[in-house]
Amino acid sequence: MHDVVIIGAGPAGLAAAVQCRKHDLSVVVLDEFPKAGGRLLGQLHEEPNGEWWNGVKEAGKLVQEARKFQTEILLGYPVHHVERLEDHFVVHTNKKTFPAKKVLIATGAAETAAPIPGWTLPGVMSIGAAQVMTNVHRVSVGERGIVIGVNVLSAAIARELQLAGTELHSMVLPARNVVSDDQSNPRVVMDRLSHIAHLAPSKFIQFGSKFAKFKFAQNIALKHYPKDGIKMWDMPIHLRKAVKQINGTDKVESVTMVDVTMDGDIIRNTEIEVPVDFVCIAGGLYPLSELASVAGCPFKFSEELGGHVPIHNETMETPVDGIYVAGNITGIESSKVARDQGTVAGLSIVKELLQTGDVRDKLEQAIAQVKATRDAASIQFHPEIKIGREKVERAFHEQHA
Amino acid sequence: MQQLIICRCEEVTLAELEETAKQFNCTARELKLRTRAGMGFCGGRTCRPAVDKVISDLTNEHPTDNVPLKVAPPVRPISLQDLGGGGNND
Amino acid sequence: MTKRILDHPVLGKLTDQHPVPFTFDGKIYEGIEGDTIASALLANGVRTLREHEHSGNPRGIYCNIGHCFECRCTVDNISNVRACVTPIEENMIVESGKKQPDPLNPNNEGTLPRTYKEYLEQGGDK
Repeated sequence: MHDVVIIGAGPAGLAAAVQCRKHDLSVVVLDEFPKAGGRLLGQLHEEPNGEWWNGVKEAGKLVQEARKFQTEILLGYPVHHVERLEDHFVVHTNKKTFPAKKVLIATGAAETAAPIPGWTLPGVMSIGAAQVMTNVHRVSVGERGIVIGVNVLSAAIARELQLAGTELHSMVLPARNVVSDDQSNPRVVMDRLSHIAHLAPSKFIQFGSKFAKFKFAQNIALKHYPKDGIKMWDMPIHLRKAVKQINGTDKVESVTMVDVTMDGDIIRNTEIEVPVDFVCIAGGLYPLSELASVAGCPFKFSEELGGHVPIHNETMETPVDGIYVAGNITGIESSKVARDQGTVAGLSIVKELLQTGDVRDKLEQAIAQVKATRDAASIQFHPEIKIGREKVERAFHEQHA
Repeated sequence: MQQLIICRCEEVTLAELEETAKQFNCTARELKLRTRAGMGFCGGRTCRPAVDKVISDLTNEHPTDNVPLKVAPPVRPISLQDLGGGGNND
Repeated sequence: MTKRILDHPVLGKLTDQHPVPFTFDGKIYEGIEGDTIASALLANGVRTLREHEHSGNPRGIYCNIGHCFECRCTVDNISNVRACVTPIEENMIVESGKKQPDPLNPNNEGTLPRTYKEYLEQGGDK
């Protein structure tokens, strides 16, 4: 039996593994992706200090650190069940089962879809798919595409596609339907961008400063939104245009674009057809918590954190004794926060298993580090992340009351 | 106008969900079971937020702290052979 | 056409690529070491990886990280393998997912297996 089975070889899982191995616990890290690093792989952006954050390199550093402490990392192992027995857990994969005293679930996030007619055609992919294809596999996803969905993630990845020489026509909103809702509302989208822009790296600042902070100014900006969009790195971002349909027979050939009002209503007779050979859909991220759910973890819904998150406390314990969580499963934040949360979870497991007070100081420091990293984050997915964190923390204490 | 597919795996359209909800006046759970939206190969990972959104609109059941679409193992498809212990155990 | 990104202003040049040949629907393609089936095929301009089993509509990658199962293919006779999380190997035989006969269509009566034994006799998992 392993002391700890860690599900997910992303920044959270690897950082936790390092802490556990430093204290000589027996650890195995499982991931279904063939490369370790999770969604760090593919990230590529310029930090406010002008340096490049290269996710492939950062992942490499974490893997190297884990290997230095002889951490067993098994790739290509999809976990399909976390079974709770009387005094231990059994983690089931398609290849093998792993009994464990403690389980850390660090499964990250999944992309929220923005369904649009025609979105099942080959050539339509999630924005994250294009990121991985471009920066990890080094294959361009097409000759000329369009990004549907304007948010911090899609803006960052659109820039990455450009860097790799992939041409983008523009970034636009999804046309309103029952699902796209807020994502197709120019007022909401602009408001969200104005909140995040001041935190974001270099070019975002210029981009964001065009979106005024005050509601009345936002209204004016939306009313007089330039016909050819606001440009970021020469790529137009449209908040008054939306894609209502993706066209093609066997693969993507074009999209149908329309003008929309300030509230996102489609303006009649404005349809134009834009020829593209790929489409990226960017609906945002939500915590991927299915394994926490089958393990019996209780949940809290928090819009600020991106959806339903397993209830947990500052030390990353869930109310299910022996199950820990870290990273984006606990709320959508940057990979640096995920990594630091992983360190907390690792130390927390060490403290519990070795029943030692020695790690208490380290654990305290690690918790403080998570907060410091959050405060310094250059990319924030939701302006009220701290409120979401407090909600979940409160829920944990209510469970234990 | 093309159909708007909500659940890709089972090709369940928005129109189908709306018609089913209207015809049977169903709860969220019943609507999923009747249409199979979110019950295909991916286990609802792709369409879960979309299906929840459509269904909460149609049935007036709003998100609570519980995960709306019950998650059951296995959360990844697995062959009967593997499930039956064809693999190795520690 | 899609293509390999050989030179990148931040990530640098792709050097010393080790070619890996494999087949997809009987045709020989070449990927490079480290490719998944999905990335190797896209580098060769192949977007369609399967037909929807019921409607026959074409599908390609959607999420590219193993979540959506849209890219599932048959690999060395194992069905429903995700092309986006499966590394290519030399001489791997990859086949696209195909439309399946409709069991409720009366024209298919007598042609579809009724028992597991019949299923195996008709080619089983292949």
